[in-house]
Order: sequence, then C-alpha cells, then structure tokens
Amino acid sequence: MIHMTADSRVRAPRRFPQPAALRRLGSLALALALTAALGALHETAAQSLSLGGADGTFFIRGGTVIPTGGQRLEGAGILIRDGRIAAVGRDIQAPADAIVIDATGKYVYPGMINSNTGLGLSEISAVEVTVDLREAGDFNPHIRALNAVNPHTQMIPITRVNGVTAAITRPTGGIISGQAALLQLDGWTAQAMALRPYAALIMNVPGGGGRGPRGGAARRPPDLQEVYDYFAAAREYHRVRAGGAGPVDLGFEALGPVLEGEVPVIINANGREQIETALGMAEELGIRIVIVGGRGSYHLADRLAEGEIPVILGSLQSTVGADDPYDAIYAEPGVLYRAGVKLAFSTGDVANARHVAHHAALAMAYGLPEDAALNALTIWPAQIWGVDGEIGSLEVGKSADLFVSTGSPMDARSQVAHVFIAGRQIPFDDYHTALFEKFKTRPLDR
Amino acid sequence: MIRVLNGLRLGTRLAGGVLLPLLLLMSQAAAQDLAISGATILTVTDGTIENGTVVVRNGKITAVGQDVPIPAGVPVIDGSGRYVMPGIVDAHSHMAMDRGVNEGSETVTPELIIDMRNDDPQLYRALAGGVTTIHVLHGSANVIGAQNAVIKLRWGHPLEDMYVEGAPRGMKFALGENPKRSTGRYPASRMGIEHTLRWWFNQAREYMKEWDAYEAARRRNPDLVPPRRDLRLEALADVLRGEILTHVHAYRADEMIMMMEVADEFGFTVATFQHGLEGFKITNELAAHGAAVSAFADNWAYKVEAFDAIPHAMYLMWSRGVRVSLNSDSGERTRRMYQEAAKAMKYGGMPEDEALKLITLYAAADVGIDHLVGSIEVGKDGDFAIFNGPPFAPASRVEMTIIDGRVYFDREEAETLEKQLARNAAEREDDR
Repeated sequence: MIHMTADSRVRAPRRFPQPAALRRLGSLALALALTAALGALHETAAQSLSLGGADGTFFIRGGTVIPTGGQRLEGAGILIRDGRIAAVGRDIQAPADAIVIDATGKYVYPGMINSNTGLGLSEISAVEVTVDLREAGDFNPHIRALNAVNPHTQMIPITRVNGVTAAITRPTGGIISGQAALLQLDGWTAQAMALRPYAALIMNVPGGGGRGPRGGAARRPPDLQEVYDYFAAAREYHRVRAGGAGPVDLGFEALGPVLEGEVPVIINANGREQIETALGMAEELGIRIVIVGGRGSYHLADRLAEGEIPVILGSLQSTVGADDPYDAIYAEPGVLYRAGVKLAFSTGDVANARHVAHHAALAMAYGLPEDAALNALTIWPAQIWGVDGEIGSLEVGKSADLFVSTGSPMDARSQVAHVFIAGRQIPFDDYHTALFEKFKTRPLDR
Repeated sequence: MIRVLNGLRLGTRLAGGVLLPLLLLMSQAAAQDLAISGATILTVTDGTIENGTVVVRNGKITAVGQDVPIPAGVPVIDGSGRYVMPGIVDAHSHMAMDRGVNEGSETVTPELIIDMRNDDPQLYRALAGGVTTIHVLHGSANVIGAQNAVIKLRWGHPLEDMYVEGAPRGMKFALGENPKRSTGRYPASRMGIEHTLRWWFNQAREYMKEWDAYEAARRRNPDLVPPRRDLRLEALADVLRGEILTHVHAYRADEMIMMMEVADEFGFTVATFQHGLEGFKITNELAAHGAAVSAFADNWAYKVEAFDAIPHAMYLMWSRGVRVSLNSDSGERTRRMYQEAAKAMKYGGMPEDEALKLITLYAAADVGIDHLVGSIEVGKDGDFAIFNGPPFAPASRVEMTIIDGRVYFDREEAETLEKQLARNAAEREDDR
C-alpha cells in the first residue's frame, strides 16, 4: 500500500490496512503517496469502491477564485493546510511542502450545499429494502437520520465529484418526521461526516400530503390542534423534568433543542395555504422554522422576508400547477430574492442530488442574479444551518470545502476537475466515472 | 384511450390518395412567411452563423446565411442578441395521450394506435421550452405495445393538423422490469419476454406467408377465399416488411442484445432503443445492428435495471458510432431539454454542435423525419427555438418558438409570473 501506483490502487481494498510501519511514516508522507496515486487515479481509475479523501497540504494556483457570490479574484491561490483554508489571495506562494494543483483557466468555488436530500438513506428508490426514508407513525421527533446513513452508499461519491460537498439528509413522512443531519460528504463513518448531527427537525403541515410509511392512502384531514397539544405536552414535560421528576420520553426529549430555539424546524410546505399554516405554527409554537418546498411562496414573499424565514426551494425540475403561469416555478426564486427572503436550493432527491446547481440555473434564466444563485448554494444555506463559520465561502480559517471547475456550476457544460472536503482531496473514482473509464477501453472489435 | 385501427393498411392507402393532399392543403394554410434577422443561428448541420438571417416561405426554410435578402412583405423578427436553434424534437413523450398511457390488459397489442388530444396544457409548456415536435409512445407495460404518433405542437389547432405528414409509422416494444412485473400475466421474466417476441413474430411470418401465397394464387383463381384477416398479425407483418419503425424500451445490455438477435432472426432492424441506459456497454453490437439509442441524460438508480445508467453514456455511445438522441419521457423534462443536452458536454466532452443534435437532428432521425426537421437548412420546415442567449448557458431561456414559420410561443405575449404579480400589485393599489 505504501508504494502505490495507479494499477495497484485499482485493486486496493476499501479500508486501508494500517501496519505499524505505515503509521510511523507520518501523515505528510502518507498524504504525498496518496495524492500522487490519486492524481493518476483521476486519469485511469476503473474501480467502483470509492476511496476516502486524502489528507495533505495543497496549493491551488492560478485559478479565478470566487470566495463567495459577487467576489472574484483572478489568478489567485488557495493554501489548504490541516483541513483548513490557510490562505487565499493573489500574492501568496506555494509553500515547499504543498502539493500544487494548477487551476489556470479554471474557477475555484466554495463547495455547494444541497439542503434537502435523502443521501445515505436510499439507494434504489423502487426497491423498498434499500430505502430507509420513512418511519411509521405521525410524531417521530426521536427518529434520527444520521444513524441510518450508509456512509458507503454509491450516491455520495457521485454527488461530491460534482462539487456538492455537504448535504442535509432527512427522514420524511408523518407530521414530525424526525431529525435531519448535515453531512460533509467525506468520511469513514456517518458520525464522522456529520457537521450537525441534529441540524433540524423535519415536519409536515398536518394533512399536507403526509402518508404512511409504505405510501398508503392519504391520512385524514389534519387536526392542527394535535400538533399544538403535542408541543404543549413537551413543554410541560421539560418543566417537570427540569424539576427532576417523571419518566423519560424520547420524543419529548428530542423536542428539547427545538423548544430552546437551538434547532430549527424544517416544514415541508407548498402552496399558499400550507405556507400560511406553517407561518401560523411558527408563531403559535414559538419555534424557529425554515420552509422547504416553498412552491407558491411568492404569494407570501413579504411576510417571509419580514419574519426572516428562510426558504429551501424544492426541486425546480417540477411541473407547474394548472392555474400557474408556465414559468412560475422558475421565476419564483427571483421574486423571493427581490423581496429579501434568504434562499437555498435543494433537489429533494438522492440520485441527482449532484445536480442541485442545475436547479439554480433555471432560476437564473428567469430572474435570479448569478451571485444570488451561487450564494443560495453556498453561504446562505451555511447560515441557515448555523455552520457559516465552517463552510459556505472561501475564507481563511474555514474548513477547506471547495471545488475547481471549468466554469460556473450552474452551467450544465462545466466539468469539475478537483474537489476538496475538509481539506481532503476527493478521488474521482465514483461508480459512474469508473464505469465510464471501463467501457471507454472496450476494444471496438470484441 | 386507444382505438383499434380497422383496416390500417387500407386506411393508409386512402390517406395517401385522398386525405394527404387535403391535409397538406390545410397545413399550408396554417403555415406562414417569416424571417429572423441579425441573430446567431445555430444551424446544427452547418455551423453557427453570426449576425445571420433565416427566411421561411410557406412554412419552409428558403434561405439561411449572413447576407440573405428578405423578400418584400415577409414579416421580420429582430433577432439581435438572440440565438436561434432548430425547434427541439423530443424523442419520447406521453404528453397529450388521451386517457391513459398503457393498454395493460394484454401484453401484445400491436394493432392499437394511441389516441391523442390537442388540448393538453403540457403541450403549451413544452412549446415554452422550445419544443416543436414530439414522439408520443404507448407505455412500457406491454412486450409489444401500440403504434405511435409524431406530432408538431401546433397549439390551438385541431388534432388532425398536429400530425407530422410524412412520418413513418412506429411501434412501441418493451423489455425488462416493466413488462415482466405485471402480475398474473405471461411473461414474468426476461426469458419469457424473448419467447413472447419470437412466438408472435413467428406467427406473423406464417401469416405473411399465407397471404403472400393467397395473393399469388389469386391471380390464377380470382374466386379463391382469402385467409382470415388478423389485425394483430397484420401489424406485426408490417414490422417484418420494414414498414414500421420499432422503438424498444430497454435498459439492460443483455436485453438489447436479445432484441437485436430476435430482429436479426426475423429480418428487421431495431430503429431505436428507448432509454437504452446500458447502451454504452454494447456500442459495438448496437453499431453493427444499426440501432440508435434515445437516452436520458442523468436519470438513474430509480430501479435495479437503472443502476448502471451513467451520464457519460451519451458521449460513449456517440463517440463509438451509435446515433444518440435525448428524450424527456416527462412533461417536466421536456421544458428544459437544452439543459439536458448540455450535460453531454459535461460528461465526456461532446462538441456543442453534436450535443445540440441530441435534441434536434438525431431525435428527428429516430422517427424518420430528419429530412423535414432537426436542422436549419434550406428546404426544411421553419421550426425554431429562439433564446435570449446561448441555449446551453445557465441564464438562457426561450423567448419564442416557431413552427412552420408561425409563432406559437412568444414570451412577450405569454402570461408570466412577473406579469401576474405586477397585475396583482396594481389591483391592490387600485383598491386603496
């Protein structure tokens, strides 16, 4: 494993053996060896067991750096050390120990965040046994996405090589679906990937399409009172428990951080009626909410802006309602942006979580400025999830989550050349790239 | 949902003799003269013309180039700052099907022809995405489905005026998970699917022989009783005669090879594999047989047979000699086919002109109408999508869609969210 060539790497097991000799080598030598191998791998890989990111000190030089929407540093460098951005600017040089990556003619962007996915919870949507998205029951605040995430899903490597470096993964269904996690898309365990193990509580507007775990008949019309009663009971529970009395209730315990305002509630709401209900729930329950979906939220843009309620846009690759103008879905983000609503993009899916920026492209074509589109993929979701000190822009001290591309991520033609997550260089050995490399080599005559 | 076409071949002859000239007359009445000047014209077959002009007379392109005179009286659209590409052809759609996509009661239903309607609002939304022609197919529940429709999105016209004159007949077949998962019905496996195909084509071959023998004998004996007529076998016999294009829903490499073997055995060629997700694994076999693939850009993992679908497939197949088109199979994707085609440049690096052909010329070739549409060339139909920027650029959108030289979508005239909100705001102002 020490003297790796591209060929030996092709047969490498998923987990690195860690002999004593290797451990003694120290992280720098390991990083150099890994990176050399990964460089070659990028060109020649033909395997489907995706490797973990490689540690090291890296210097990306010569690219146009977009630290955040609206900023632009041409011919700038970025130094990555100990997993962090150690320097960004035009006047910095590569230290002697850095692995240099030439980005001349390319662009360096902060890693993108997909704010609504089922990554790690679902592999093949039609095959029920591979899907862990929904639990039975209506009130499930104790249900945690994180501990069901398969960190070795094929979906994660495929997603991250497109520059999506972090994602919300969440349960669905019922009224309170459970706890969403915010993951950085590299790590040996889901727990190690979690930037926020409990990033948000997921809720549906009662009666707003909540279905049984196996897609059964739609539940009967909502009783909002049931939700209010549940929250009231939870508050009472915490009051009693604070006095040291009463048995533990896992559901009420899980609501604690929400009642304290530490964790926001993501409410799936589409259409004026549902969004108004969600706004009412926020007020009545005294909780911090984020709208996800948000279809038709343009009706309430001013109220959302006033209440500083962010909107995670659902898939823009959707059909419009019968009474809506043809461009309603595409034009909505621009309307919300101009009203001052904080936005983030999402796909709501798993398999094409990688292409979240293409949703933003549709919004751009119908009125959302490019800088806002980029921010709604990077710094704004970082702010919404309370991790803007860590990710979301290219600033010294932040986690080095970034990618190098031939063009804007919103441009469907752009090719991503390099990806870093937490300062680790991500191999381009995902399942799709591996199949591509394999069948490229099939002889034309046999 | 679907009507049995009685006396299909007779009907076709009748259409050719009497109805077709009538239809042509009608469609010419709908066609118009029009010119677009000063635009960037993406001809698709002959490069990009900066500051170009294209002229349409009677619905057909009569001139395209930089220094093209515009005849007096021809209305001119100012194309400055605009990009003109051929109208988009969506090679697989179920829009505008009348009440249902599948006739699932039996697994072999080639005598059926899909029924259409002209008022599906999805057609208008597709127009707003630059689509001018769609290939509408029966669903994939049946091993042998129904016959297709190729229509232009002449929104607002009677259904009869929407069919593309001169489009060959086509028939849907389906392999893999979809036809085998229908419960309580044969076949239940890919093995049974192959047998179903071979059994029916064998029947059709016998039927054809019987009729050929009858036709030959009838010359000597005009009073001979004809064989019993069978519409199902007659339709399949037309496939064997090469009169019907076969469009085969398939995902996996093995089932596509099986289908090509069956086609070879019975002497016809598979026109297209629909989706053909694993086509990139068998480019040699596809090229040798002469089958094209109408693909998805990046749809994958929704079922087991879709797990090996890679977005590089478009590039791999194209670069290794297989004709590739893209299709939407969806009232949503059809609104942004240009974004889907751009992914062929991302994954593998297809040149822009070729990526454009995925949704124009090659899609037209799938249904045998590339002599009519799919590129901006003299003699072809005046079908265009006009964008406010390069069609593959992220901030680009369709401003106007033109069919036969007639404007069917114009964003300036269309109801948009912005206009609706401005109106609402003005009303609120009035109320005060």
